[in-house]
Amino acid sequence: MNTIVSLLSIMFFPVGISLILSGMLYEWADRKLVARFQNRIGPRWFQPLADTIKLLSKEEIKPHSVNNLLFYGLPIVALSGALTAALYTPILGFAPTYSFQGDLIVALYLLSLLTMCTGLAGWNGASRFSLIGATRSLTQLFAYEAPFLLALLGPAMAAGTWTIKDISVYAENHWMFIAQPVGFVVALIGLMGKLELPPFDAPEAETEIVAGALTEYSGRGLALFHIGKSVELVVAISLVTAFYLGGVGNPLIFLLKTLIILLFMAMLQSMLTRLRIDQTVGMWWRFGALLALLQILVIILLKGWLA
Amino acid sequence: MNVSQNYVSQLMGRITTWARVNSPWAIHFNSGSCNGCDIEILATLTPRYDIERFGIKLRGSPRHADVLICTGPVTRQARERLLRTYEQMPDPKFVVAVGSCGISGGVFQGCYNIVGHINEVLPVDAFIPGCPPRPEAIIDGIVKLLTHLQNGTRPEPIQFAPQETA
Ligand code: SF4
Repeated sequence: MNTIVSLLSIMFFPVGISLILSGMLYEWADRKLVARFQNRIGPRWFQPLADTIKLLSKEEIKPHSVNNLLFYGLPIVALSGALTAALYTPILGFAPTYSFQGDLIVALYLLSLLTMCTGLAGWNGASRFSLIGATRSLTQLFAYEAPFLLALLGPAMAAGTWTIKDISVYAENHWMFIAQPVGFVVALIGLMGKLELPPFDAPEAETEIVAGALTEYSGRGLALFHIGKSVELVVAISLVTAFYLGGVGNPLIFLLKTLIILLFMAMLQSMLTRLRIDQTVGMWWRFGALLALLQILVIILLKGWLA
Repeated sequence: MNVSQNYVSQLMGRITTWARVNSPWAIHFNSGSCNGCDIEILATLTPRYDIERFGIKLRGSPRHADVLICTGPVTRQARERLLRTYEQMPDPKFVVAVGSCGISGGVFQGCYNIVGHINEVLPVDAFIPGCPPRPEAIIDGIVKLLTHLQNGTRPEPIQFAPQETA
């Protein structure tokens, strides 16, 4: 009986098909919002679905000099990493399926797997554009990863636990975004860096390096990377919402909160222009990491003072 | 068994056709045009015409693209590059020739450095006439291509009179 429930939860809900579909809907909402900010009409609601099916049904071209195992394996690993991370996060406002002490760290590293797979895929791609894209993705990973981690550690330290479930329960009565505004801003911008959205889209800058690390991917591999990215969008937004905007609570209100975050991100995307990769790194380490550290210092001092 | 298999494959075919019609990603190649057509294509991509409504997106990499939008006559220099770009695209792929030059060589017809119109090098699926065509015409051409795709009818190949060489 238990196995059946686990299998169902992995295949359909909350991970699996429903997560992939909601990822597509979030991606559509993001594109539509950006389009509205640019005074356009924007894509239709089924656009990401049509894109994915089309890519899956296309021919997959394998360049000559790539490693077969890496070329075919990396998209699968990337997608499964993002899907596995969803097991520990409160997706769509429902309590996480599994949780254990320290799953926050595991979920964050699983989320980074997608970027690392993209980097490896670009290095494997045997094209100069994908190589430059790979270097940029990995450089950007070094830039935002530490501040983002620190920003999510703030709520964890305030709650005194490293379990996502317990932190989100704690956050229900303590609105972290009021208590730790700096951490919230760093987490939000770290989210955009993680998803390589503008202004942090130097790794896939189509005006300079064609399509970045995924230049040589076509068909199935590209589709899997796309799905992985939209799944990561849902997981990361859910994580930030659960930590900073008042926990899980009611699924409907949770959805609304994630949409507000999405609206804010879309606004930043259409307002700001692309940063150079050195500007990105400089910004993160000069301001992002320092601000997050300051936040953590304040939390430690306050906790010590209150105790 | 056979009947149900048939039914499933038919259904899959319809789903993939639907997806293909609704998400044509384009790549733009200038094989020797005077740049007039390219400016009109870029105008088509601006928010005013917003072709993301139809799911059309401009991609940098030929590996991601479904539709190759070519402009201009094919010069001897550009022929190899045009062919290579076309061969890098995964199947199924379509070619749209934009502008009079792409249809017949236009004002460049008979030049010493010209191979000819695009149909001499690649199998073109849709021609969009004009010098240069307006963005509305380009959108109309692509939508016509998509309608043909949906109905499963490839547009008729156009027969040209053989080019006179001076
Ligand atoms: S059709 Fe006209 S605008 Fe287009 S490339 Fe030819 S001459 Fe230039």
